Amino acid sequence: MNARTRKRVLAVLQNVAILLFIATMLVPIVWIALAAFKQHVDVYQLKLVFTPTLDNFSRVFAAPYFLGDKLINSTIVATITVLIAIPIATGAAYAFSRFRLRGQTLLLVIILATQFVPAVVIVLPFFLMFRDLGLLDTRTGLVIVNLAIVMPFAVWMIKGFIDGIPIDTEEAALVDGSSRLQVIRNIVLPMAAPGLVTAGIFCFIIAWNEFLFALILTSKNAVTLPIGLALFKAEEGDLWNLMAAAGIIIMVPMFVLALIIRRHFVQGMTMGAVR
Amino acid sequence: MASVTLRNVTKAWGPVKGVDDQSLQIADREFLVLLGPSGCGKTTTMRMIAGLEEPSSGDILIGEHRVNDELPKDRDIAMVFQNYGLYPHMSVRGNIAYPLKVRGVASADIGPRVEAAARQVELTELLDRKPKALSGGQRQRVALARAIVRTPQVFLMDEPLSNLDAKLRVSMRAELKNLSHRLKVTTVYVTHDQIEAMTLADRVAVMSEGRILQLGTPETIYNDPASVFVASFIGSPAMNLIEGHLRDGVFHTTEGALMRLPPGLPRQDRGDVVLGVRPEDISVGAPGEGDVDVTVFAVENTGDSVLTTIRLGAERIVARGDRYQKNAIDDRISLRCDPAHLYLFDRSSGERLR
Repeated sequence: MNARTRKRVLAVLQNVAILLFIATMLVPIVWIALAAFKQHVDVYQLKLVFTPTLDNFSRVFAAPYFLGDKLINSTIVATITVLIAIPIATGAAYAFSRFRLRGQTLLLVIILATQFVPAVVIVLPFFLMFRDLGLLDTRTGLVIVNLAIVMPFAVWMIKGFIDGIPIDTEEAALVDGSSRLQVIRNIVLPMAAPGLVTAGIFCFIIAWNEFLFALILTSKNAVTLPIGLALFKAEEGDLWNLMAAAGIIIMVPMFVLALIIRRHFVQGMTMGAVR
Repeated sequence: MASVTLRNVTKAWGPVKGVDDQSLQIADREFLVLLGPSGCGKTTTMRMIAGLEEPSSGDILIGEHRVNDELPKDRDIAMVFQNYGLYPHMSVRGNIAYPLKVRGVASADIGPRVEAAARQVELTELLDRKPKALSGGQRQRVALARAIVRTPQVFLMDEPLSNLDAKLRVSMRAELKNLSHRLKVTTVYVTHDQIEAMTLADRVAVMSEGRILQLGTPETIYNDPASVFVASFIGSPAMNLIEGHLRDGVFHTTEGALMRLPPGLPRQDRGDVVLGVRPEDISVGAPGEGDVDVTVFAVENTGDSVLTTIRLGAERIVARGDRYQKNAIDDRISLRCDPAHLYLFDRSSGERLR
């Protein structure tokens, strides 16, 4: 085999591998997307041609499922989590990035180490604690749990972005007449903005998809979308068409956010690299 | 405008001393250059004046006022950073206006002052661009304009030309000189480039290992260096330093070559001395005409002059001659040192012997 044919064969193999990979990733999503528009009877048939219906979407929002309530819960919990997490994480990240603190490395590792504990291990203590505090089945409780989950991640991520801001720029602002707070507001925040948006969206996605804690800590009032899916395991069997419709409702915001994040992510990633 | 005074200032990080018990008086409207190799403490000294580093001990005064405990913003200074420190998310106009805005200058005043500062450094056309759309030289001008938009007590400049290419550096140097002449603001300028120091300074402080080794006008530093370090740091090519000893008023190199010392230099016998002579103070002639006959080791034509390197024992000596000199490698020539410009140093301490 000469070099040229070998190159061509390799290229073909590469493309086949990529296609296989894409297929593996996308088939379930395509299946869900199709099922969401099928009648219940069509779900188990791999028909690509069928009469699409929007019935499933109206049914999931109606009794007894009331997916709308779960949608509101999820939106509120994820949004408030992000709104609290990002400012606090930014403050912590700035301090870690710019000040020399005693035991800094250890602190950073400890913050990350909280992520190493499997959620299943701490869900029971959380349950007992929340029961005593009256936080079971409340959005407040879920926000607290989600904060604990996203904060370490947000601190690390935002610290990376702030590290990328040249210290000269901040010092120039100090000499130009700014206080430390003015430096943060006028210089650091605008420069780190792509990073903050990226971190915020990541946190939103994590909170939005969080399953285990929501499953154990909510029962009726504060149930979120991922838990809502379980409603469709009914006596008449798994209602795949409804589940698929709910799945689409969960996925669409993530899809939109992913599109937004793509632009910011690239920008954020290269921010420190170019002067 | 004000004087700047350092009184017994030390900056230490643990056992490492960045600046070691230094005192310095910079007069009102003076252009002082801190010159030295990297790590000599020059930037640390400047950053302490700016308030970006806290001195471990000692006092820093701007005018009559002790500023040790004041934040940078309250010291009424302006600084130009090596990497410019521009605000990338603001336009050039926003960058120049920032010191005024953050100090609460009325917005009606800001516009004209920004325009005036931009005019001084010829940036008027670029006011609406972002820094990333500017060349290195233009960014440098923005940093300068941001410094001169106010009239601070003191300008601090931290190697402001070091990121520019050679040609631009020369032209910006002239602009800085012109600007400082017009503005007449006390300026502290940090550089490792001896030509910048020579051309810009009213006085130069040569620093090494946290200490000021010599403080004086550029002429003094060049013509009357106090130590081997200062002598070898200033001048390009560097001063020739030849090790040897003195006997009966004659300088013997370690290899035995001789050079009669002119009157005015120490004549008593001693070992371990270093004879210094600048390349331009050595003239090249036909064999027998000069102090010592030697063989040419290398000839370099730099365009404006010819550098002739010869070997004298283990040492290499460079002579700078006019550009029409025509010697070749292995030619026999003679060297004559200008007796008015010979320097003797103690080898172990590096101190000048007078």
